[in-house]
Formats: sequence, structure tokens, C-alpha cells
Amino acid sequence: MAYTWDIFVMAAVFGFLYGFLLQKADFCFVASIRDLISVRDTRILNGVLVLIAAALLGWGIALAAGAAEVSQIWTVPLGGANLLGGILFGIGMTLSGGCGSGTLYRCGMGYVQFWIVLICAIAGNLLFAFLYDPWVRDYFLQPLTLDGDGYTLFSLPLSPLVIPVLIVAVMLIAAVRRHGAKAIMNGFREALTDWKRNPLKQAHWDIRLVAALLGIIASIQFVMMSNVSITGPETRIGGVLLALIFGEGIVYNNTYLNGLFADFPRIGIGPEETLVMFMVVGAFCSAVMSGSFKLRLPRAARLPYAVGGGLLMGVASRLAPGCNIANLIAGVGGLSMSSVIVIVGMIIGIFIVTAYIFRMPLLLFSRED
Amino acid sequence: MSYSEQELACLKPDHVIDAIGEVCPHTLNLALNGLKKAKSGEIVVEVTDHTIATKTIPAAVKMNKYAEFLGIVRQDGNYHIFLKKI
Repeated sequence: MAYTWDIFVMAAVFGFLYGFLLQKADFCFVASIRDLISVRDTRILNGVLVLIAAALLGWGIALAAGAAEVSQIWTVPLGGANLLGGILFGIGMTLSGGCGSGTLYRCGMGYVQFWIVLICAIAGNLLFAFLYDPWVRDYFLQPLTLDGDGYTLFSLPLSPLVIPVLIVAVMLIAAVRRHGAKAIMNGFREALTDWKRNPLKQAHWDIRLVAALLGIIASIQFVMMSNVSITGPETRIGGVLLALIFGEGIVYNNTYLNGLFADFPRIGIGPEETLVMFMVVGAFCSAVMSGSFKLRLPRAARLPYAVGGGLLMGVASRLAPGCNIANLIAGVGGLSMSSVIVIVGMIIGIFIVTAYIFRMPLLLFSRED
Repeated sequence: MSYSEQELACLKPDHVIDAIGEVCPHTLNLALNGLKKAKSGEIVVEVTDHTIATKTIPAAVKMNKYAEFLGIVRQDGNYHIFLKKI
């Protein structure tokens, strides 16, 4: 299919907003889990939980209102690859210091380390593409697959709002039991009133407010355009670069890359790739406005982590498939069971690196108070 | 209690941690290691260009009562995070 210019504009706007908001909250999935298990800091995890709640309700409302159909939900084959891909992605993103989205917004903030991570992640995507046929497909993915079509709980014969409302209600009840109703109300108030003079110049916005906005924007994107994703479009960007350097044959002759461009009129940058590129632009603008932009050079000792972590993220994101953003928002928001497994895998991966490679304190499991 | 930037600038740090060029979780790890070495009442300052550290380090020390977070001074695009060992 050929794309019209208006969908590119829409994609650019969505990408800009994601990048802007992610930077404003320093929204990092690695930190949400790592800070919980290491120092029992739940600030970023609270944001992730709000994002999940917003996405669940957004997808439920979109389906209930008839603005979208169950067939539009992002489902992928269910099986062992989800768990293994999730674990490897979790290890990769913790080693490199940033998740799929964290890498992009920090590229916009001037972190040279994350440009290296991004380049290596795209190299990892392409490495997977060249291993896919026949090795990964025939000897790995096929034996591990339980359900080739994937599965979403939205397929159940229930109103699309039932499961999201139940899950969000359970989340709220658990939060009230843990913190008390007054603290939850205060949290809502803080999230909405944490403003200084000029919000655009403010370095940090409340992560819970940003999470809710991200969930709302992703739901609108789901209805108007597509499921939000990062690593699939990054792989296509890698394919475009390969075609520019080596000619289009290298893409068309590769089973995996050829499949990625199946809906494209030719090898090129589509709307989702535009969205990903504008995430960097949005983060850059946000950082410049608040004075947070700076060209930051990494320490040489950390470069192996950036290269190794990036490559691993790239391979694992194709295996799982998807990164934290696609699996958290489009996957969990769409009640896709494979994404739940991927997220569990990512949490295991983050724990492995935090505990055994970085050897950080594990206060979540200590009995001291 | 939190201090103003002028008050913080007058404080003499007992330990200065150079974390420029580091990202998470190393910025937090360096702060925790610095606090381990410090004696009660001593002031530990981490100098970092990693924006997120200005959120994670204060949150981590407050949460676990490792140290009192005194405040942040911004200088030449870097952040000086002031902590007082409890």
C-alpha cells in the first residue's frame, strides 16, 4: 500500500509527543524494576503501573466504542521465545543502561553512549534477520511455539471493558490497602499540580501524569494509526540503510527483512519509522527547553556494556518479539498473553544483571527496615 | 531539611565522587559506595551529568535512610548532589 503525506504528519506528531513526554519524566522501564529490587524505590514503577492501567482502559474503551476491532490488537505467536527473548532483552537493556524507549529519548538529550546503543541495537536486529532463515525459524522458533496466532483476552465473549476495569480496580484496591485512600488522593493531586512557573522549561514532570498521558496518546494512535512499536521500525530503518549501501537485493533476498517490507510500496521510511525518528526530535526539544540538553561523552570502561547490551537488545527484540514499549502498551494494553510472558522475562533479565553483574544491593529482599 | 544553592555552595564536602560520563545504575552505585565509606555526619557530593541521577539518588537515600538529601547545585551543565551520611 502507498502511504499519504497526512499519515506521516500524524506519525511525526505522535513520535514528537512520546519523545517529549518520555524525556520530561525520565521514563525508564529498566529503572522501574531495578530501583524497586535494589533500593525499594517505587517512584518509576508507579509510573509504569499507571501506564499499564491507562493503556488497558484505553484499549478497552476503543474496542467497546467500536473505534477499533480485536483483529487490530498486536498479538504474536505464543511460546518459549517470548520468555527467552524477554530475558535476553532484559539483560541487554540493563547492561546498556536504557530500554527501547529510554535509549531513544536519551539520544535526544545528547548521550553519545545511547547513540552507540541504538546503532548496536539496529545491528543486532539485522544480525537476527540474517540468522532467521533457516536457523532461528526452523530450529528454534518453530519448536518453541505453542500458538502460532497468539492470543488476547479481548477475544473472550465479554464486554471489552470488563477485564480492564477489573484489573484497574484490583490495582486501585491494592494501592489503597498499602498506602491508604488519603495518600492515593494526595498522589493524584500531586501528579496534577506539580508545576513550577513554565511547564515547558521545567526539567521534570510528575511521572504518573506523564504515564497517563502516554497511555492516552497510545490509545489514540491505536485507533487512528497503528499499535505503538519501536524495535520493528528500527529494524526497517536498518533494512533501508542496508539497501542504500548494498542495494535493494540484500533486503528482498532476506526472508525476514522482505517480510517486514511486505506492506510497503518499496524499501523506504514509513510512518512508524517516522514516529521513532521524531521521538528523538521530541526528546531533543524537551531537553533544550528545560536546559537538560548536553553532549555527554561516556566513560571508555562503559563502552563494552553499550555495544554488548545494544547488540543483545537488538537480537532479543526480534526474538521476543518487541521491546518494553510495544509489550507494555500495545501488548499488555491489548491483553495479549505473549506480551505478559515477555514482560515477565524482561523482569527476570533485569534482576539477573542487577544482582549478579552490577552486584547492587537487593533491599527488596532484605528484612531490615 | 533542604538547603538553597548558596547555602550548599558554602558547605565543604568530605567526599567528592566523580560520576561524569556515568549512567544508571553506576551513578547510584557510586553514591551508595561513597556513603558506605563516609562517617556519620559527613557530607558526600556526587558530581554527575546524568539527569536521572538527580531523581534516583535522592529517592534511594530517603527511602532507605542512608543519608539526608541536602540539595543539588547545577554548575557547568553538571549536577552536584549533596548528601549527609546519617
